[in-house]
Amino acid sequence: MATTLKRSHETERDPRRGASRPLRPSRRKLARVCLYLVLGLLGIIAAIPFVWMILASFKSGAEIREIPPTFWPRDASLGNYETILNDPELPLTLFYRNSLFVAVMNVLATLFTASLLGYVFAKYTFPGRQAFFWFILATMMIPAQVTMIPGYLILVQLGLLNNLWGLILPSLIDAFAVFLMRQFIVSIPNDEIHSARVDGASEWRIYRSVVLPQLKPALATLGMLTFMFHWNAYLWPLIVLTEQSKRTLPIILTWYSGQHDAQPNLVMAASVLMVIPVLIVFALSQKWIVRGLTLTGAR
Amino acid sequence: MRCRRWRGKRTSPSDRSRPAIDVGTKRRWFGGREGAQKRFVAAVITPAALYMAALSLLPIIWAAALAFFEFSPRRTGGPILGLGAENPFVGLDHFRAMLDFSEQAPLNVRQFHTAVKVTLIFAFLVLPLNLAITLPLAAMIDSVHDRLKVVFRTIFFLPVLTSAVGVAIIWGFVLHPQRGLLNGLISKITGKVTVIAWITDPNFLFFGIPVALLAIIVAYLWQDIGYNLVIFIAAHQAIPQSVKDAALVDGASAWQRFRYITLPLLKPTILLASVLTMISSFQVFDLFQVMTDGGPHDQTRALSLDIYQNAFRFQRMGWAAAVSVVLFVLVFVISLVQTRFLRSQWEY
Repeated sequence: MATTLKRSHETERDPRRGASRPLRPSRRKLARVCLYLVLGLLGIIAAIPFVWMILASFKSGAEIREIPPTFWPRDASLGNYETILNDPELPLTLFYRNSLFVAVMNVLATLFTASLLGYVFAKYTFPGRQAFFWFILATMMIPAQVTMIPGYLILVQLGLLNNLWGLILPSLIDAFAVFLMRQFIVSIPNDEIHSARVDGASEWRIYRSVVLPQLKPALATLGMLTFMFHWNAYLWPLIVLTEQSKRTLPIILTWYSGQHDAQPNLVMAASVLMVIPVLIVFALSQKWIVRGLTLTGAR
Repeated sequence: MRCRRWRGKRTSPSDRSRPAIDVGTKRRWFGGREGAQKRFVAAVITPAALYMAALSLLPIIWAAALAFFEFSPRRTGGPILGLGAENPFVGLDHFRAMLDFSEQAPLNVRQFHTAVKVTLIFAFLVLPLNLAITLPLAAMIDSVHDRLKVVFRTIFFLPVLTSAVGVAIIWGFVLHPQRGLLNGLISKITGKVTVIAWITDPNFLFFGIPVALLAIIVAYLWQDIGYNLVIFIAAHQAIPQSVKDAALVDGASAWQRFRYITLPLLKPTILLASVLTMISSFQVFDLFQVMTDGGPHDQTRALSLDIYQNAFRFQRMGWAAAVSVVLFVLVFVISLVQTRFLRSQWEY
């Protein structure tokens, strides 16, 4: 027993029970081994599509056409990457810039409007507050497919087709973000706001100096979720942007994949270039994203 | 800062916490503290309300109105929202046409029927499969060492962070008939060259369900399980250690602990996650469009894809709006049923 003393559940077990089942510790060990085996296997299955994509991006055009396909590239080369980076039809930096512009502007707008509206909804009463808040919540129930047709017609009227602002203007206020911010701000003590007011701070000043600093973790989480959502967005950009030079990465990736249907090695290299860099950033900030998801159940 | 757990979503927006100040009951608008507060609220709410009216309320009303018109942006319409004139009012014709189940029904109606079927099969297969994978997986990941926990969570969570287009292209290549990993693997195991057209063969059915649709379900599950997984892992960690220890002391087996401790304690989380999974699986677009574009023979034509193609490929926006209303009603009814179920099951 001395060696197992450190494991809390082992020590708490009735010794007689242990004596009546002498096989228990080794069965336990066996169960652990099985657990790790199953988890490892599932982990490999989950990771293998990524591995397959990355490996294929190093294969030559001849090797990719072999039947049955090889798993490990026979002589790995960076040829596909060179082809893509030198492709005049695929100015990757331009598309990265487009995507970055849309995502960053959306994050800034969402964080600003959500924190401000969340503050007003949480800490002030005014006529129509309930109705307005319920309306904002209700818009979350409407599928994107319902509003995309009139949304498109509105953008046509505003002349914002083929304009990156067309991906920013319709999402300045995000219903979910307002809801989330309100939930956080409600828990800020009213006394802090009152005392700031007694000290002579203006309402804007209270928002900036009392409310915003306390929201930092929440804003970081919301910012990551918003960035990810707009960076990966596909349907709305597909409708709004028809001009090649204005497009964002997901649309360019589908376009490129359609153009090079017969050369999966190139498509895979392009996917790696367009998916992996940001994926690494997302993975590193996973803590914030996971926190946001578990706090809210956002999708 | 007080962390609102997931359950926080249940609290009604009419939160009982007292507002800091009550602007509504004070009269003064100019000068003084109340005036400043009123002006602040007005300065925030007025633009927000105008914005929501123009870019949120208007589209909703417009979409509902479009469903009663024959509308194409290419024709010149009437003065109000381009409705009327060459875009005539057709009343309930679109909805009446949807109920035409005969063989002679026009192509768009038959495609609509296919789309409803595909979407329902998709959603009702995705939800149970998702839970069947994520619940045991979360329990397993929860029981490993903390450092490994992060490793496994990251592996299963990476696809969530990947763009759906990337997922569709990766899976399209995994399932490629000649160059795909899956057929390559089967060839290696069976020893003979296997060429199976997973997502392009219209005659390839599995229990009456097109394999192409199943392939998209697999890709979607791969991409989507990370969501529920992290939520369930967090819920696991919220179960008090004393409860788990007590079960261990009583000699409960792993299955018994899962069945009688984890499941009941996780029930609220599971039910809410189910609603969200269901709602989002009704609206999947990216995977369908990029992986198969509805093919083969419309076997993977989901409602979202049907709406998109009618509206933006064939310019039949009135019909597309009517279909989108059906999608909304479907999502609404199903989430209503699930929430009703959820509410009655909540207290345990």
